[in-house]
Amino acid sequence: MKMAKRVTLYITIFLFAGIGLAPVVVMFFKSLFVDGGFSLENYGVLFQSNREWTLLFNTLVLAGATTFITVLLGVPLGTLFAKTDLPFRRFFAVLFIIPLLIPSYILAVAWFYCMGRSGIVASLLGETAGIVTSNFLFGFAGTLFVMVSALLPIVIILTMTYLRMVNQDMEEAGRIYSSWPVVLRKITLPLISPGIALGALITFVLTLGEFGVPSFLRFDVYSVESFTMFSAFYDFSSATATALPLGIITIVVLIIERLFLRKKTFVSRTMGLEKKKAVVPLGKYKPYFLIGVSILVFILVVVPLCVLLCKSLSLSAYVEAFARSAGSIMRSLLYASIGASCLVIFGFLLGYILDRKALRLHYAVDSLAVFLFALPGAVIGIGLSNLWNTSGTNFIYASIPIIIFGYIAQYTALGERIMAATFPHVSHSMEEAAQIAGAGWYRRVFKVLVPLVKRGMIATWLICFIFCLRDIGITMMIYPPAHDTLPVRTFTLMANSPDNIISALCVIMVMITLLPLCGLGLVRKYVT
Amino acid sequence: MIVKIENVTKAYNKTPVIRGVSLGIEKGERIVILGPSGCGKTTLLRMVAGFIHPDKGKLVIEGKTVADNGKCIIEPEGRQVGMVFQDLTLWPHMSSYKNIEFGLKAKKIPKTEIREQIDSILEKVQMIQFRNAYPGDLSGGQQQRIALARALVTRPKILLMDEPLSSLDTDLRGVLMREILRLQEELTITMIYVTHDREEAFSLATRIVVMKEGEIQKTGTVSQIKEWL
Ligand SMILES: Nc1ncnc2c1ncn2[C@@H]1O[C@H](COP(=O)(O)OP(=O)(O)O)[C@@H](O)[C@H]1O
Ligand SMILES: [Mg+2]
Repeated sequence: MKMAKRVTLYITIFLFAGIGLAPVVVMFFKSLFVDGGFSLENYGVLFQSNREWTLLFNTLVLAGATTFITVLLGVPLGTLFAKTDLPFRRFFAVLFIIPLLIPSYILAVAWFYCMGRSGIVASLLGETAGIVTSNFLFGFAGTLFVMVSALLPIVIILTMTYLRMVNQDMEEAGRIYSSWPVVLRKITLPLISPGIALGALITFVLTLGEFGVPSFLRFDVYSVESFTMFSAFYDFSSATATALPLGIITIVVLIIERLFLRKKTFVSRTMGLEKKKAVVPLGKYKPYFLIGVSILVFILVVVPLCVLLCKSLSLSAYVEAFARSAGSIMRSLLYASIGASCLVIFGFLLGYILDRKALRLHYAVDSLAVFLFALPGAVIGIGLSNLWNTSGTNFIYASIPIIIFGYIAQYTALGERIMAATFPHVSHSMEEAAQIAGAGWYRRVFKVLVPLVKRGMIATWLICFIFCLRDIGITMMIYPPAHDTLPVRTFTLMANSPDNIISALCVIMVMITLLPLCGLGLVRKYVT
Repeated sequence: MIVKIENVTKAYNKTPVIRGVSLGIEKGERIVILGPSGCGKTTLLRMVAGFIHPDKGKLVIEGKTVADNGKCIIEPEGRQVGMVFQDLTLWPHMSSYKNIEFGLKAKKIPKTEIREQIDSILEKVQMIQFRNAYPGDLSGGQQQRIALARALVTRPKILLMDEPLSSLDTDLRGVLMREILRLQEELTITMIYVTHDREEAFSLATRIVVMKEGEIQKTGTVSQIKEWL
C-alpha cells in the first residue's frame, strides 16, 4: 500500500522534471559545445558590446521600477479594500483585478490607440500632442506604466489575502495606545510583510519574463532579445546566451527569497476560521479615498478597456475578427483547458508532497517548480523546442503536447502552492482513519482527499486556466504551425490589420476569459 | 465609580449578544465576569476597551461618557485601559522591549524614562532576562507575562483581562494567578477579569459577576456566589 503512494509521487516528480527541468538543463549544456568540442564561445559575446549592458540595465531597471511602484500602489489599495469601510470596495477590487486576466500586451495596445501618433489624443488635441504622448508611451515610461497596471492585481490580491489572516487581537492590542494609521504602519503592515515581499518577488520575475509589452512598446529587454534571436534568426546559440543572464537573475532572486522570506511567517494561521476582522473607519477622509481610488481605477483599467470596446464597436469588426481567429479561439480554450487539467493533477500531487512532506525531496521539488515559474517563458520555450525537435519526437514537437509541456513547466508552481495551501485544512487524522479502515492509497485519494479539497482544486483549475489562456511568452516560442492561440494570433495580426479588428480580437479575449469566471460565479450563487 | 455600564445592548446580525447589561465598578475592585463560553463576556470587555460600541445604552469611564447609543465618543487610545488577550498577542516582529515600548512611545514619554519604566516593569513580572527576546523564542507563560507588562507599563486606570490564562498549562496558571494578584495589589489598579473557570474566579475576585446568554444573572462576593451556585 505504501508502495502505490511512493511510486505515484516519484513518477510525478520524474515527469515534472522531464517536462520542465530537462529542456533547460539540456539547452545549457548544449550551448557549452561548439562544433562537437567544449567551448565558451557562445558566451564570449556576452557583455562584449554596449548593447548587452543596455539590455541588462533595461531589464533590471524595468523590473525594479515596476516592482517598486506596484508595491507602493498595491499595498495601500489592498489595505483599503480588505480593511476599511470604503464604499464599493468589492467592486473596485474586482475592477482592479481584470488586467491580470488578460495578456498584458492588450493593455499596451489599448494605450497605443489612445496615445499613439494617430491615436485618440492626437485626434483631439492635434498632431504635436500625439507625438508627445507617443514618445511617452514607446520606451521606458510607457512600458513601466503598462506593466504596473498589468501586475498591480498581484500585489493587491496578496495584500488582501494576508490581511485576512492577521489576528485581529494583535491590532486591537495596539489600538489601546494608538490610532489606526499608527497601528497599520507599525503592526499590521509588518505582520503582512511576508505577503508583500512575495508580491514584490512575483512582480519582479513576471516583469523579467514579460515579452509582449516591451516588444510592442519597443523597449529592449532580454526576453525580447532572446525571442528575436531565436525566431527571427534561428540562432539557437545566441538565444541561449541571451537567456543565461535571465536564468542567473532568476536564480539570484530565488536564493534571496529562500534565505530571507522563508523563516518569516508572522501571520498566524487562522485562515478558514472566518475570524472577525477589525474594520478601519475612514471617517472624514472617506470621500478623498473614494475619489483617489476612482481616479486610479479609471486610468489603469476603465480607460484601456473602454478604448478597446469603442474602437471595436461595429458588427463587421467582430465578424471579421471571428473569421480570422475562430480556430485560434477554439484552440485557446481547448489548450488552456487541457493545460489547466494537467496542472491540477501535478498541483495536487506535488502540493501533497510539499504540505505533507511526503518525500524527502519536497524542498527540492518546490524549489524547482518555483524556479520554472520564475524563469521567463522565452527561456523555457527555447529549451523545449530544442529538446523535442528531433525526428523521433516530432509528434510532440509539431503538435499540442509541446504547448501543454510549456504550460506545465511554467505554471506548475501555481497549482502546487495553491494545493499545498489547501491540504492543511484536511487533518492528517481523516486520511489515517481511512487508512486504518483498510483503504489503499488510491482509494484514500479519491474517496477522502479529493472530495475534501475539491474547492481548492476548482480554484487551481480556474487560475491555471487563466494563466494558460493569457500566456504569450511560452506559446509564442513553441507553437507549431497552425497551432496558434488567440493571444499569439492577435499579436501576430497586429502588424498589418486595421485597429477595429485588433480591438475586437482583444475584446473577444477579455470575454472568453471573463465568461468562465462569471459562469462560475453564477453557479456558486445559485447552488449555495 | 470608575466604570459605569448603563443598560447596554449589542447585537450581531440581529442576534442579540448582550441584552441590557448594567454594572458599576468601584476603584480598585477586582471584578471577575464568569460565564460559559459564548455568553458575551468578550463582547462586553471589548466594548469597555472601545473596539466595538453598544447599540443602545451608555458607557462611562471616570465620569466621562465614552460611548452613548451606538456613538463612540472616546476611541480606545483615549480610554486609558490596558488589556491582556486570550490569544497570545505579542507582536512577533518586535522584541519584548519593543512590545512594551509601543504604548509608552504613543504617550510621548522621554526615551530615558521609557527605558527605566520598561526595566522596572520587566523586573516586576520577573522577565528582565528576556528583555531582548522575541515572542517566538518565549513559552506561552513567558509571553503572557510580557503581555501583562505591556498592559501595565502605561499605568492604565483599568486593566482588562480576557481569559489570559486559558492558553497556558494548569501548573503555570496558579503561579501566574498569584502574580496577577500581587501586581494588582501593588499597583492598586482596577481590574476586570473574564473567565469561564470557577476556580480562577474564586481565587481572584473581590466581586463576581455571573453572566448567561448576554445577561447578568447574579452579582456578589466570592462567598455569596459560592453559596448561590
Ligand atoms: N464579530 C462577531 N460577529 C458575529 N457574531 C459574533 C461576533 N463576535 C461574537 N459573536 C457572537 O457573540 C456571542 C458572544 O461571543 P463572545 O462575547 O465572544 O462570548 P464569550 O467571550 O463569552 O465566549 C457568540 O455567540 C459569538 O458567536
Ligand atoms: Mg471570549
